Formats: sequence, C-alpha cells, structure tokens
Amino acid sequence: MSAVMSFVAVQSSLAKWLRASLACTFIIVASYLPSIAYAQALSMINGNETQKITISDLRQQSDTAVTLFDPYQGRDVEMRGLEFRRFLIDQFGEVPPALHFIAWDDYEVTLSGWDDPNWLMVTEEDGEPLTLRTRGPLRLVERNHGAREVESLREFNDWIWMIRSIEARW
Amino acid sequence: MVSKHESFEQPVAVGTRRGVRRYITWLSLCLTSFMALMVLIMYEARWVYPEIQAYFSQTGSLTGQQLATRSRNYLQRAQQTLLNEQRFEEEHTALVVLNLDLAYGLMDVDIYHRHYACTTPSLAALDSLSLRLESGSVPPFAAARELLEPIDCLTHIEMSQLDRRGKAINDFSESTRRHNDVLTYSSMIIFAVGLLFWAMHERQLRRTERATAQTLAWMQRAMRDPLTGIGNRSALQRDVMVSADESLGLILVDIDYFKQYNDALGHPEGDQLLRRLANLLKEQLGEDATLYRLGGDEFAAVFSCPNDQALIACCHQLIDGLRRSAFKHPAHPDNKNVTLSVGATRFSVMETTFAYAYEAADKALYRVKAAGRDGWQMTASL
Repeated sequence: MSAVMSFVAVQSSLAKWLRASLACTFIIVASYLPSIAYAQALSMINGNETQKITISDLRQQSDTAVTLFDPYQGRDVEMRGLEFRRFLIDQFGEVPPALHFIAWDDYEVTLSGWDDPNWLMVTEEDGEPLTLRTRGPLRLVERNHGAREVESLREFNDWIWMIRSIEARW
Repeated sequence: MVSKHESFEQPVAVGTRRGVRRYITWLSLCLTSFMALMVLIMYEARWVYPEIQAYFSQTGSLTGQQLATRSRNYLQRAQQTLLNEQRFEEEHTALVVLNLDLAYGLMDVDIYHRHYACTTPSLAALDSLSLRLESGSVPPFAAARELLEPIDCLTHIEMSQLDRRGKAINDFSESTRRHNDVLTYSSMIIFAVGLLFWAMHERQLRRTERATAQTLAWMQRAMRDPLTGIGNRSALQRDVMVSADESLGLILVDIDYFKQYNDALGHPEGDQLLRRLANLLKEQLGEDATLYRLGGDEFAAVFSCPNDQALIACCHQLIDGLRRSAFKHPAHPDNKNVTLSVGATRFSVMETTFAYAYEAADKALYRVKAAGRDGWQMTASL
C-alpha cells in the first residue's frame, strides 16, 4: 500500500517538475521572440507591492461577453472580458478612489469613479485576443454608451487602451 | 333667452376669470420676466460650457493629441532605430516591431479609414514590413525607407485633421457670437419688459394705496359731525365697542329751549351755540372724554370712570362751567342764560349693552326735564 502511495507521490512530483520546466522554457523562448515579449502581463500596483498577472490568465477569467458599437472601429464588435469593478475588488479588496494607468504607448492618466459595473476590461474581440495592433492587450470600455455621440471620439476619452499597469491611488 | 345651463355656468366662468386675474398680476408678470431671463442665461451657459470643454479642454487626454501624431512618432522612433543601429540584432527588431505595432494600433481608426484613402495601404505596408522584419528578410535601411510612405500619410492626416479642427473652432466661434447676440438682445428685451411690468405694478400699488386712503378718509368723515367736528352717533357706538373692558361714564346733554333760541336768534346763531357748547364740554370734561353730537341739540360724552363719585364730579363740573360761561339766551322762558339738562350713568359693556346704558342715561335726562330742566340726574351704575 505504502509502495503504491510512494509511486503516486513520485509521479505527482514528476508531473509538477515537468510543468514547471515547460513554463520556464516557454518564458525563456517567449522572451526571445520579438513581438510576443511585450504586452503579455498586467502589473497591479498597490503601494509598494506590485503583482504581475499574465494576460492569458486574464483571458481565462474573462466571463462577460457583450456586443457593442466601438466608435474607434466604427462597427459593432463582440467583446469579451472581466467586469472591471469586480476585478478591482478581487485585486485590492475594494474599489480604490482613483486609479493611475500606464499604457504600452506610454500614455498615463489618473481617473476616478470606477465603482461602476458598466466598465468592462476587454481581453478578446470577435473571438480574437487583443494585441497592441488592436489596442490591447487590455482595454477598458463601457458596456452602455449612454447618450454620448458615437461619432465624437472625444466623448470616449476614458476608454483606456493598451493597459500595461494599474496603480491604486487611495 | 338664457338656457338653464348657461345661467348656471356663467357665474362659475366669471368666478374662474376673477381667480385667474388675481394670480396674473403685474408683479407676477414682472417676476416671471426676470425668471425667464435667468433661465435664458442658464440655458446659454449650459450650451456654451460643454462646447468649450469639447474644443479647448483636450490636452492630456486620450484624444488630446491626435492619434495620427502619436502614430507618426512611433514610426519615426522605429525609423531612428533602423537607421542608427550599426549591428542590427534581434532586440532591435523587437523594439522596431513594437513601435510598428503601436503605430498600427493608433492609425487603425475608423475615422481615418473613412476620410483618408492612404490609411488602408499604409497599414498593409506596416503589416508586411513587420512580418519581413521578424523573418529578417528586409535590411534595416530598406525598412526605414518603406516607412516614409506611412509617415507621409500620417502627416497628411494630421494636417487635414488640424484644418478640420480649425474649421470646427471657427464654426463654434461664429455660433458663439450669434448666441451671444441673441442672449444680449433677448436679455435686454426681457429686462425692459420686466421693468415695465414692475412700473405697472408700482402704479397699481400707488392707485390702491390712494383708494385705500380715500376710503379711510371717507370712513373718518362718516364718523364725524360736520358742524362741531366731534364724533357722531355711529362713532359713539364704535368707540364704546372698542373699549368694551372698561368701566365707562356716559353723559347725555340736551340744551334747554334750543328751539326758542333758534327762533329768536336764527339758525346760524344756533349753530354757533352748538359749536361753543362742544368746546365747553371739551374744556370741562378734559382730554380723556370723547364727545359726540347725537343729533339736534343732543350731545354725549364717554370717558373712563372708575366710580360714581367721579361721574357726579363731572356732572357738577359741567353745569358749573356752563353757568360761568353765561351764554345768553334771549328767549329763555325763565329769563336765564343757556341751561342744560344732563343725564348720566356708569356702565361696563362687558356687563350690560350700550343700548341699555343709553336708555338709562336718557331716563335720567328726562327726569331732569320733568323736574323743570337746568340740572343733572344720574341713574345708578349698571
């Protein structure tokens, strides 16, 4: 009996080692691939603590799908992502009063008013993962445009693109 | 011929019109005008502010700097990397591809596709170049040269977008000027109308005040005896009702043989005697007493009187004062000067009616007359 248990334990350790080795290999290989090395993780900053979340994890967590008109693309797009308010609560315990965003195109902004279930953090569009070319890998959109004029891009200034890091400002 | 319905509805309609007129006054019209002015100003402010926000408050926001400008910056950065690096290695390729991706993302916007024909070919060129750079099939210098066309396109977009923005700002400026004119003139008109309504209200107010003053003057006159200037019977009843909680003395005075006086000396002299007698009553009874002429030769005096002694003193004072004055009466049957018959009583309106008190004083007066006139009598306090 104990021999069987030892065999199972060894097998389990072996499987873990193999998975870890594969992950390391993947990260090393990925870091050498030119375009894949960028925009693969999101940094969540809370005071002195920084936590990195891989974009693939966020895609897996994406449980909300919605079809809405994207004024930048000028068409209806099926977007998939996470409810941003719930995501913030999961990460910071509660919705911070303000968030400081840094994007991959070096755009920086601090905005407040995120305690609103209308915001969706998009990871996929029409079934395809967002990339820098499609203003990803993460983008914040509002599920309901309200009364805003979709022809005026100025009205969608707070749709943050290419999100690289999110810092809680308390 | 008026139908039953008409006869019933007409008064209702008139009542409604009066009710409406009561609320539509000059003052309410004036206030409505100024309120309309406020609403107009607030509306204009609400219209102008968001427009200003839209055109002039975009710095630092996502679209504050043109997407085309930012895209061009990334292409120029990529170009710089391609031209500057002596040994072009994979990390440089990665950096260039990153910049091309960012430029692609910022350029691939619907509005650019719709308005600028060079957008789609430029994006296709960037896509192709990225692939060739990753596969190493294009030398850096050639790649840098290939970027010139997309950069030209982006510069064209930037200039055109600036023109469009300039035109929009000019349109907005023109529209603002027009609205400003409308606001100025309409404000002036509404203000003038408001002032006019205010003036009408003031005029109406002055008219009402004048009418009220006239009514009060008429009411005062209606309470006065025009010959002697003292109160009349109506004033007596009103004053007694007002001083209901006091103990009052009431004296009724009747001139003896006044008809004979008039017959002998004429009515003007009779009127003169009445005036002199009114003055005498004022002097003898003092400021506290209020005098009334009840008609003909009959006078009344009402004053605050705490007890019967005070009332008796007043009666004595009055008779003595008259005797001292010695008004001549050439037709007096007893060859005397003018004499008076005086009846008095003391009462409180809380305890008895004025009519009853008047009757009591009158009875006392007639007792004097029955006893030969020229004297006073008092009915015990009521």
